[in-house]
Amino acid sequence: MSAPASPPTSADAHAPVPGHRFRRRIRKPWRLAAECAAVLIALLVAFPLYWMVLSAFKPAGEIRSDRPVPWTLTPTLDSFRRVFAQQEFGRYFLNSLLVAGAVVLASALIAFLAATAVTRFRFRLRTTLLVLFLAAQMVPVEALTIPLFFLMRDVGALNSLLSLILPHLAFSLPFAIWMLRGFVKAVPEALEEQAFIDGASRTRFLWQILFPLVFPGLVATSVFSFISTWNDFLFAKSFIISATENSTLPMALLVFFDTETPDWGGVMAASTVMTLPVLVFFVCVHRRLVSGLGGAVK
Amino acid sequence: MSVATGGAKSRPRRTPGPADAGGPPRARPARPGRPTGGARRGGWTPWLYLAPALVVLAGLLVYPVYQLGLISVLDYTQAQVSGGEPTSFQGLGNYAELLGDPQFWNVLLATVVFAAACVLGTMTVGCALAVLLTRVRALPRLLLMLAALGAWATPAITGSTVWVFLFDPDFGPVNRVLGLGDFAWTYGRLSAFALVFFEVVWCSFPLVMVTTYAGIRAVPTEVVEAATLDGASVWRTWRSVLAPLLRPILIVVTIQSVIWDFKVFTQIYVMTGGGGIAKQNLVLNVYAYQKAFASSQYSLGSAIGVVMLLILLSVTLLYLKLLRRNGEEI
Amino acid sequence: MKAEADKSVKSDKSVTGVRGFTRVRAAGASLLAMGLAAGLAGCAPSTSSGGGGQDDKSGTVRVWLFREVGNEPKEKVVDKVADRFEEQHDGVEVDVQYIPIDSRAEKIKGAFNDPASAPDVIEYGNTDTAGYVADGGLADISDEFGSWGAARALDPTAKKSVTVEGKQYGLPLFVGVRALYYRTDVFEELGLEPPRTLDELAATAKRIRAAHEDMYGIAVGGAYTYGAMPFIWAHGGELAREKGGSFTSALDAAPAKKGIRAYTSLFGDDNCPAGKCAKMGGNETVEVFAGGKAGMAIGGDFNRQAMENGKVEGEYGVVPLPGVEKGDIAPAFAGGNNIGVLKSTEHRTLAVRLAEQLAGKRTQEQLFEAMGFLPTFSDTRRQVAEREPFVKPFVRTLDAGTEFVPASPAWGTIDSSLILPEMFQRIVSGKDDVAGAAAAAAEKMDEAFAE
Repeated sequence: MSAPASPPTSADAHAPVPGHRFRRRIRKPWRLAAECAAVLIALLVAFPLYWMVLSAFKPAGEIRSDRPVPWTLTPTLDSFRRVFAQQEFGRYFLNSLLVAGAVVLASALIAFLAATAVTRFRFRLRTTLLVLFLAAQMVPVEALTIPLFFLMRDVGALNSLLSLILPHLAFSLPFAIWMLRGFVKAVPEALEEQAFIDGASRTRFLWQILFPLVFPGLVATSVFSFISTWNDFLFAKSFIISATENSTLPMALLVFFDTETPDWGGVMAASTVMTLPVLVFFVCVHRRLVSGLGGAVK
Repeated sequence: MSVATGGAKSRPRRTPGPADAGGPPRARPARPGRPTGGARRGGWTPWLYLAPALVVLAGLLVYPVYQLGLISVLDYTQAQVSGGEPTSFQGLGNYAELLGDPQFWNVLLATVVFAAACVLGTMTVGCALAVLLTRVRALPRLLLMLAALGAWATPAITGSTVWVFLFDPDFGPVNRVLGLGDFAWTYGRLSAFALVFFEVVWCSFPLVMVTTYAGIRAVPTEVVEAATLDGASVWRTWRSVLAPLLRPILIVVTIQSVIWDFKVFTQIYVMTGGGGIAKQNLVLNVYAYQKAFASSQYSLGSAIGVVMLLILLSVTLLYLKLLRRNGEEI
Repeated sequence: MKAEADKSVKSDKSVTGVRGFTRVRAAGASLLAMGLAAGLAGCAPSTSSGGGGQDDKSGTVRVWLFREVGNEPKEKVVDKVADRFEEQHDGVEVDVQYIPIDSRAEKIKGAFNDPASAPDVIEYGNTDTAGYVADGGLADISDEFGSWGAARALDPTAKKSVTVEGKQYGLPLFVGVRALYYRTDVFEELGLEPPRTLDELAATAKRIRAAHEDMYGIAVGGAYTYGAMPFIWAHGGELAREKGGSFTSALDAAPAKKGIRAYTSLFGDDNCPAGKCAKMGGNETVEVFAGGKAGMAIGGDFNRQAMENGKVEGEYGVVPLPGVEKGDIAPAFAGGNNIGVLKSTEHRTLAVRLAEQLAGKRTQEQLFEAMGFLPTFSDTRRQVAEREPFVKPFVRTLDAGTEFVPASPAWGTIDSSLILPEMFQRIVSGKDDVAGAAAAAAEKMDEAFAE
């Protein structure tokens, strides 16, 4: 397999995307097939999402009807109105943003340091520690809410956003550390040697060389911590008891779930509103993911 | 500095060392600040780096897990927690009750099989699509990524509801498109599990795809190029070049998937109506919820938690041991 | 082996002011005997014991109510009550918060666990009464209940729904009840009359199904416990029997089994195929009916909006679910919500008084106007039925006498572990016969009662 002999006609050949040299070598019909497959799969994966958004716009009687058509002739904003009409909806949104943001930042920093420690150094209990980190996730979360509840109460964090940030940080960290380990490991150690020979301090190496190199990993783990924090119901309803002004978005979604008379339009509209910021967050960070390292290790 | 070019088949240059945490760390005359390469003993430095993580995890994970073990041997229900009733010691009564319940063993078996299927499905789809992403141009890539992210970001409770709507025999479009008439997916045990399986894969493959893709991006281009120049097929490139390089990431994602899929709750609960027709689709976490948490029987719930912890811990350790036997450094 | 509980009172002023927490410590000796780590006793799982006992006559009275979809009309009614209460009581403020229904279990448990965050007055689902009492969360207000003037007009089941072992733990706020919805157009087309007995119901259902193969005669659900219970009660059966404060299941008694057989015989290709109907719960059967796929369904007064939004708008009627004999009405389950006072309140007198106003006749009438909640007072209910014909069949059902779930904390376990749905589903999917499934369910219920 070699590069096409004729001058490349596709725009891609000129695209300054890192890694283009890798792709250029793939024969074009194959790439076209791959792209068709990608688009098809994207449509398939997005269909349930489309159905969710569609249901949010359908009038109440059409959501569960015997003519399940993938469109509606009478779109309405009623469901969204019911979502936004909730008292303090904006406040919930801001709280969610604050909690998720704090968790993402803190877990990225803490996990990066910890991942460097367990990858670049060899010390007693290293593997044990790593496995221990995971232990808490192996337990049903409901089982941990009672001990966590009293812990939060005793440190006076109950009812505050801190009671959401701390547990989520703790639950995001193990994955982030494990994940970043892989990325730190992928950075050749010769690079580190070189940096030290060039006279860089350990701190400088850590933040100015290693940190940018593992950024794609950081992005992937950040998306993970963002989503799991953003979508959490259990802690949100267990730890924010009396201070409803500190509630988060999932509480605005829960209103529509009532076993006897659920409001599916409201559920779909609220979920749409909840999913959007995650997509925006991703679009913001995805460049980092895509451009990533590519040819950076040179 | 083109480091890993030669490492297409062999692993990147690294001092192979015993990774056994229990064993004595390899002694190596370390000149402070001037390491000679390879993993090393850093004195206090690693602990300094680890300190923030340790503080958070010790306080918020180790302590609660410790309490979990404690509660599991006590008689601890809501009446004790808030009603002022005295706590009494139960010994292993909760464990005896749990392990003596024939339903528990059935549920455990179903959970293991179902989780294994989900992990396999998720990993396969996720990795395949990650490779696909590297072979397409920016627009299709963004489309697929956004769709996947959407699936990932949808709250599980909503995602499950939408899937049930889509496959509803009366009101869903899927049966009509597939010509299945009024086939009821949730009636049969297998078809119900299959439906949940699809949903679980749908919402969990994006994590695998995104992280694996990020991992592939971090692989120096030359490595892949070398393989492509050799004329290796996509599959061979993956097997002999990418997978070994990505192994640290794949290990993490596999372990995490095992943990999550073993603990699957929302999907089963919402999609099969709390465990399926006559409980045929019960999995361990739903069982725990119905048996203990919903009625505030924290001791029994904690006992189930401890049992799950032990199972998952042994699975994880076994997996890591297998990897190590194959010469993989953990 | 029982560890001696050593209570050490520790006052935690920073969080709770004058309240003290009791920390229960398990004695270390017996734990150590089990080979557990030393120092365990020092880290015994936390508990908190009530507080309360105080009775401030001023300050803030905190109230939690459920947040409904479309909550504003409810808020308006409640605001009026709160304003009036504040006018009547100097130096008293009423702080009302609305919590999502789906988060009530965690929130209310949280309130029991941390009296500092707890409100004084809560709204709660009436099937939770016995559980919350066992949790030690609700205050016994029997004395005030006895002297509450309005109590006399309460219907007996409403009183039953706040009563545990002869003591009252709340005031009924509204009642929700189910009756038989049917398609007027389909009935007219086939020349049918609303059924007058349960046998007629089954026959009518089959005729509809025979004429319209894409429709269920009556939509029934294997997980629709509250739709199935009237069949058991109509045949003279019971869920459980109480004797001296302890319950035993009566599901495997002959009358109950007759009811179970009557209900499960509605599942089948001649009415509601098990494949689709075994899984359905209350809401799904209502959706199926509202979507025009069923000739009849058992639905609540609270399902009206779903019907109005659905395809059946303007083409449905409601009659009470018939009993075994002509002219009988099958006893329905009386759901609904109550207003209770928390044990930990520091404003007991004020809290009870506010609860009385929130659950009073005037508020109930206004809540009916605003939200369609049926009043728990028989006379008020009859008055509103005069003005709103839709609720008449529901009021008739209520007047004919309703039933309630066993007033035992075990009901929470029985409900959440889906013992009844499992029984119905085992029968309709052919995994078991009525006798076998009922016996198995009864055994599980008894296990729950025994705990």
